[in-house]
Amino acid sequence: MRSERLKCITTLFCQFFKIGLFTFGGGWSIVTQMQNEFVDKRRWVTEEELLDMVSVGRSLPGIMIANISVLFGYRVGKLGGVFAALIGLSLPSILVLTLVTYFYDAFKDLPLVARAMAGVRAAVAPIILAAALKLRSAALAEKLGWFLAAAALCLCLFTTMNNMLIILLGAAAGLLIRGGGKDAVS
Amino acid sequence: MLFLDLYLCFVKIGFLSFGGLSMVPLIHEEMLSHGWLTSAQVSDIVAIAEMTPGSLGVNCATFAGIHAGGNLGSLVATLGVLTPSLTLCLLAALMLQRFKDSPVMGRLMRGIRPVCFGMILASMVTLALESYAPAWAFSWQSALIGILCTFALIRFKFPIPAVIGLSAVLGMILIP
Repeated sequence: MRSERLKCITTLFCQFFKIGLFTFGGGWSIVTQMQNEFVDKRRWVTEEELLDMVSVGRSLPGIMIANISVLFGYRVGKLGGVFAALIGLSLPSILVLTLVTYFYDAFKDLPLVARAMAGVRAAVAPIILAAALKLRSAALAEKLGWFLAAAALCLCLFTTMNNMLIILLGAAAGLLIRGGGKDAVS
Repeated sequence: MLFLDLYLCFVKIGFLSFGGLSMVPLIHEEMLSHGWLTSAQVSDIVAIAEMTPGSLGVNCATFAGIHAGGNLGSLVATLGVLTPSLTLCLLAALMLQRFKDSPVMGRLMRGIRPVCFGMILASMVTLALESYAPAWAFSWQSALIGILCTFALIRFKFPIPAVIGLSAVLGMILIP
């Protein structure tokens, strides 16, 4: 049994390392990758179990794909599985970004690189806008959503109120305001 | 103490972010208030994180951690941003079934999601101002690149790495 468990932990680590290495932006592709690997191929969990993990993982604070890895790691290999999945998932990011950061610091002052980075900075606002538009249907499902989003936008732009307080106010509004829409928009 | 500050700062960022780019406003606020990154560097890390594999959170933590405290700093920051997963989410793993159907969670998210949406738009405006009108001097070159990228992303559905590549080339040609 011991060697079986070791094999399970090793597989978890390797699979999540692979997922960490091939997940770009956002992270929704992790669901497809896990479905292929763990539901269709290995049959470790059912599709419904996976969907439950995804819906819990995305509604908790923190990094969505890290949350899903923890839920999955625990289900398959208890605490050892949690660490295998989470370390496997994060290691590629840490290694790649460490390398990129040192390159960035070494080259960012070269004139050509500085101009390319200025160009890239001009692309960041459109990237954020496009990502926000994808969230629109979930975030603005009801009138209350429009109101809260507009209020948060104004508070951020025109006051120095910190982000933590704004989020807590939003959570309080969600808890306190009843009616005007579905009670729980999931 | 630097490492403790760095850890706690990313724990805070982790617990306050709910999916996607909702981490950007928090990172922007925290990095500038601690003086660990400039606003331009926050823009850079968002672009770098979109081009490299892995989550925005771990990527940002690694980048900011190295700038604030070297390699150890990057590990501490990454551990911080993963703390919500290792605590709250682990707790949820112990009682997945009960968590899944909790109406409280749904109601909390009903207020939090729109607020995050508004905050993301606000950081878009802030970063756009920094890029298109640094120190209140309008840069038509940057604005043009921004407009082209908006069309490429939203109208023509270019993938993000392609848009970043395009903007880098345009920057080399256009920016004086």
